Amino acid sequence: MATSSGTGSRYAAEFKSFVKETWLGYAFMLPASVLLGLIVIYPTLRGVHISFFEMSLLQPGQETFVAFQNFAAMASDPKFWNAFGNSILLTGVAVALQYLLGLGLALALKEKVPGVALFRSASMITWVLPVVVMVIIFRFMVQPGYGFLNIVLGWFNLPTSYWFGDPTTAFPLVVTMHVWRNVPFFAIALMAAMQSIPESLYEAAEMDGAGSLAKFRYVTLPQISYVSMIMIVLHVIYTFNNFDIVFLSTGGGPLGSTEVLATYVYKQAFQSYALGYAASVGVVMLVLLLAFTVVYVKLEDTE
Amino acid sequence: MATETTREKNLVQRFDDWLGQETTPKRALATYAVLALYFGFLLVPVAWLVLSTLVSSDTLYSSTLVPSLTELSLANYAFVLGLGEFQGYFVNSLIVAVGTTALTLVSGTLAGYALSRFEFPGRKPMLLSFLSTQMLPRVLILIPFFLVMLDLELVDSLLGLVAAHTVLALPFTTWLLKGYFDDIPRSLDEAAKMDGCSQVDILVRIIAPLSLPGFAVAGFYSFIISWNDFLMVSILSQTAGTRTLPFGLQLFQSANQVNWGLTLTAAVITMIPVIVLFALVQKWLVEGLASGGMKGA
Repeated sequence: MATSSGTGSRYAAEFKSFVKETWLGYAFMLPASVLLGLIVIYPTLRGVHISFFEMSLLQPGQETFVAFQNFAAMASDPKFWNAFGNSILLTGVAVALQYLLGLGLALALKEKVPGVALFRSASMITWVLPVVVMVIIFRFMVQPGYGFLNIVLGWFNLPTSYWFGDPTTAFPLVVTMHVWRNVPFFAIALMAAMQSIPESLYEAAEMDGAGSLAKFRYVTLPQISYVSMIMIVLHVIYTFNNFDIVFLSTGGGPLGSTEVLATYVYKQAFQSYALGYAASVGVVMLVLLLAFTVVYVKLEDTE
Repeated sequence: MATETTREKNLVQRFDDWLGQETTPKRALATYAVLALYFGFLLVPVAWLVLSTLVSSDTLYSSTLVPSLTELSLANYAFVLGLGEFQGYFVNSLIVAVGTTALTLVSGTLAGYALSRFEFPGRKPMLLSFLSTQMLPRVLILIPFFLVMLDLELVDSLLGLVAAHTVLALPFTTWLLKGYFDDIPRSLDEAAKMDGCSQVDILVRIIAPLSLPGFAVAGFYSFIISWNDFLMVSILSQTAGTRTLPFGLQLFQSANQVNWGLTLTAAVITMIPVIVLFALVQKWLVEGLASGGMKGA
């Protein structure tokens, strides 16, 4: 009798602590959840809703249900397809370059040479700079006559120009800014992944007669594949979503050559006041980003 | 004795000794060469920005790369710092960034602690949905968000900016802090519980003091998210009273098209607080970002 009532009360106590933990858990989650719910999740759902309406910022109260008309208009809007193509191209090229260059920098930063710690920390500077400061640096660098890049080009008698103003070079410059900003982050994450590879794997590979290239191919690369995937997916999302690098440097020009979906949505909403149409372009971005996010969450889950 | 033998060695050998056992001189030189290339690309633009703020406009608008030391002056800084509107932007940036950091750390710590220590239904989905919010297109969020803020009369208020910046920083901060809390052995909580500490006591007295590097990284991250933001401010700020530096800088730039000296100086002043904070936390930041990327959910 005594024992059974003992177990009973132990279960009761455990149940009580479980309930208490659950409540405390929710209570602790509350502030963050309310903030995210109100400012991110609700507006996203509302944004999807707005995409089925015709709505102008000039008359905030009025909205007309137009079903899929915004999406139909998008399909025949060459500016949308231009921005769509640019977004995909920018994301693909920038992230590929970031990964390859980041991998190279990671290999150098993981070497145990004197002073490497200084390089490791200094490398992150480009990543913490405000985007607007980075854009000012780049715009100044390409000023004809007195910009760093044009001065150097001038030495070799190469053509100089305000490269952001030229439709063929503006886009590569935007890619360069993305790469400049994010290569260090790639490098630091990949370096950390390389440092956690057990030395024994390299020793085993050496016993099998592997040279340094083979060791890189068969030991390093497979061991950093998880971190690589995470970094790539994160940056695909970041780059695709990014607004201010393009908006502040070229505003999408010249001649729409650097227009991306994010700047197109912004202009439609806050410069043309076409909220409904802007929201529908935003929904296209949302669908593409969600697809990436699913990949990301799957990867996170496997760890 | 030791010094004499060192002196007798030639340069290559001394270099070799200095490197330690694992690195050969050839490998070290190759490493430095690669690092030099990368840092030329990454840091020369920043160095040139700073240098350009110190020279006269004659030199600035010439093709001189290296100015003479005697002509360097802080005149641009004196001028920009004396501008009333610029001081206003700076103060606004500071208020919003500090407010964002405080709000993010408090709500992120509570959420991170709950996700790390409590078992409750919906724990994992909540963490994943927190993380997923970071991937939603911000320009889409901005449209209804602007309408919500209009209704709440938070457009053109610093409080509205703090709220907007907090949600930008919160998902990553929560996840980062959860990672730091996960690393603290649970036996410490259990022991404290035996001594009659409440959950709040445990968080404040045991977990928080052990997670200071985590708070440094999370706080820094929230601060720069807020300090660097242009998008939210460009929509929510309508008058000079709520403008922060990035937005002010953009206006400043268009207003001073011809005066690069002042624009560049304003840019340097905008980045200085970030660089100083970065120097303070970089030790933990490199570690935190590197390990944070690997921990998983």
